[in-house]
Amino acid sequence: MTLQRLDGKTFAEMILQGASHLKQNSQMIDALNVFPVPDGDTGTNMNLSMNSGAEEVKNVQENHAGVVAQALAKGLLMGARGNSGVILSQIFRGFSKAIEDKETLTTMDFAEAMQGGVTTAYKAVMKPVEGTILTVAKEAGEASKDLASNESDFIPFMERVVNAAKESLKRTPELLPVLKEVGVVDSGGQGLLTIYEGLLANLKGEDMPAYDETVTMDDMVNAEHHKLAQDFMATEDITFGYCTEFMVKFEEDKLKRNPYDEERFRNQLSEIGDSLLVVSDEDLVKVHIHVEQPGDALNLGQQFGSFIHIKIENMREQHTSIVGDRKPANEPPAEKAEYGIVTVAMGDGVKKLFESLGATVVIEGGQTMNPSTQDLSQAIVKAHAKRVILLPNNKNIVMAAEQAADMSEDEVIVIPTKTIPQGMSALLGFNPEAELETNKQEMSGLMSVVKTGQITYAVRDTQIEGLTIEKGHFMGIAEGKISSTDKDKLTAAKSLLKQMVDEEEDEILTVIYGEDVKASEVEELETFLEDQFEDLEIEVHQGGQPIYSYIFAVE
Amino acid sequence: MSVDLNTKHGHITISNEVISSIAGGAAVECYGIVGMASKNQLRDGLAEMLRKENFSKGVLVRQDDENLHIDMYIIVSYGTKISEVAHNVQSQVKYTLNKTVGLSVSSVNIYIQGVRVTSE
Repeated sequence: MTLQRLDGKTFAEMILQGASHLKQNSQMIDALNVFPVPDGDTGTNMNLSMNSGAEEVKNVQENHAGVVAQALAKGLLMGARGNSGVILSQIFRGFSKAIEDKETLTTMDFAEAMQGGVTTAYKAVMKPVEGTILTVAKEAGEASKDLASNESDFIPFMERVVNAAKESLKRTPELLPVLKEVGVVDSGGQGLLTIYEGLLANLKGEDMPAYDETVTMDDMVNAEHHKLAQDFMATEDITFGYCTEFMVKFEEDKLKRNPYDEERFRNQLSEIGDSLLVVSDEDLVKVHIHVEQPGDALNLGQQFGSFIHIKIENMREQHTSIVGDRKPANEPPAEKAEYGIVTVAMGDGVKKLFESLGATVVIEGGQTMNPSTQDLSQAIVKAHAKRVILLPNNKNIVMAAEQAADMSEDEVIVIPTKTIPQGMSALLGFNPEAELETNKQEMSGLMSVVKTGQITYAVRDTQIEGLTIEKGHFMGIAEGKISSTDKDKLTAAKSLLKQMVDEEEDEILTVIYGEDVKASEVEELETFLEDQFEDLEIEVHQGGQPIYSYIFAVE
Repeated sequence: MSVDLNTKHGHITISNEVISSIAGGAAVECYGIVGMASKNQLRDGLAEMLRKENFSKGVLVRQDDENLHIDMYIIVSYGTKISEVAHNVQSQVKYTLNKTVGLSVSSVNIYIQGVRVTSE
């Protein structure tokens, strides 16, 4: 059966299916949104705009294609939301103008209307940005003209129009650098393609399901950005070595403890890697990220449910094999690195935190088992670098660190960090490109922006600064001064934080809990913090450190 | 008139012309805008479309205490939803200023000075 002429009724049904197909996929389109403002609302906006257009179309009584198109244009204009919505309304305004007095349409009419839409859409902008919905509309419109001259049957015609739009969308990252950076196609263009696909599905009498998530993920993360990177970088230049993808199925009980907030989750992930994509619906969330510590990303995801799919690839290995590097991967480099960072930590979790922040060697040590000068000297050798930065993270180790630095043949400097939070804060200021002196100034400066709080227990009865402390009770120490005491760990922690946190100034609180703290206690503390300090961003890490039940970093 | 930022290494002064150029540049990339109008047009009596190099003429940067306000005089395309175009300009200008010079703007006020009807 061929369809040579499109009447108003059929056209109206096509539009309604285009709108519903867009609606089904609007969340996925939100996830692609990085341009012009990466606020993740393109799909939502397009859906609201298109929906307003569809509502108008429903009210049309006449079987007249031109009238249907006009109704669509009017509804879109009134309900236009966001950049993408305004552009969509312009495309269909031009479309309807071209066919306003046509009762039925041929493929030729349809192609002309598509062209008209593009012309109108381009007129309303001074500097059209290519690589966006405009480009997809333009290229599909251009293709439709050639197609219509050879094809009068609507179904094959529309099939090819949709394919042209698809091809155009695939090319958007080549035109708009920000898309390539993030490794996505343009969200507005994806929205337009989704509408076209709905139009075609209706012609074929098919029901179009929402995009299969697994397909979208692979589509969205076009393999291009993995490939392209390889032409420009050496294997050792890959910062985030693991391409990590996973899907988490939400679980009720976990969500009760950790309500899922896509934006927050995305922000947490963006701090540990790049090329990030997060797509979620009611039942599951899917993540793609390039990250150096895949475990960290997995842990973040596992808070909300259970894994149903995990894929982790070592991009350095892949890269080495692609580039044809003959060096075996595990052979230690004969050359000394430019920079090494040696730091002292206690507890596995804290050690991992430092490693994730870029420390080369982390020595076990801390309050009661201070590393000796020799331990530190060995660590400097192990760092195998021309220039080494030492972060002692404890006032009792600063001296030993200075001595080790003097003895070393490498250029070694000590940033006199007295606490774990100071060490972390200083490490964040490290710039591998900068001179040693510059790093010293920068890192020393950052050391002081963070306030340190600690909770530990008293080993004997004592009186300090007007506080009576009993053996076995917990003490809150703010910036080295004992400021609260209580026989209950949690109470001591709460009162310490109440004293420490300045709601006006402070933005982030990092909680590192020790080996003696149970998960339930941490949750209770978290709940308290969220109630007490509404605007504070709270990060919790398992430090596993002895002696200190909690270490707090406030900044 | 300028905006001062203090950093550890000294301070940075950004002149209002720079801010208005950036704001103007962000605005003209916005969909639905077809031109900037001179802010003096009330005195000049006609909405004269500004040439490219004079974007900033249609952008006024005001400061009170700590706050930064931007007034923009724009010309939009006929047939677009003007309220939405204006809203898009606001969010794009705000975002661009924040991204490029780290300024957070208290308000972006849009004055629609004209609608351009193109021959269709």
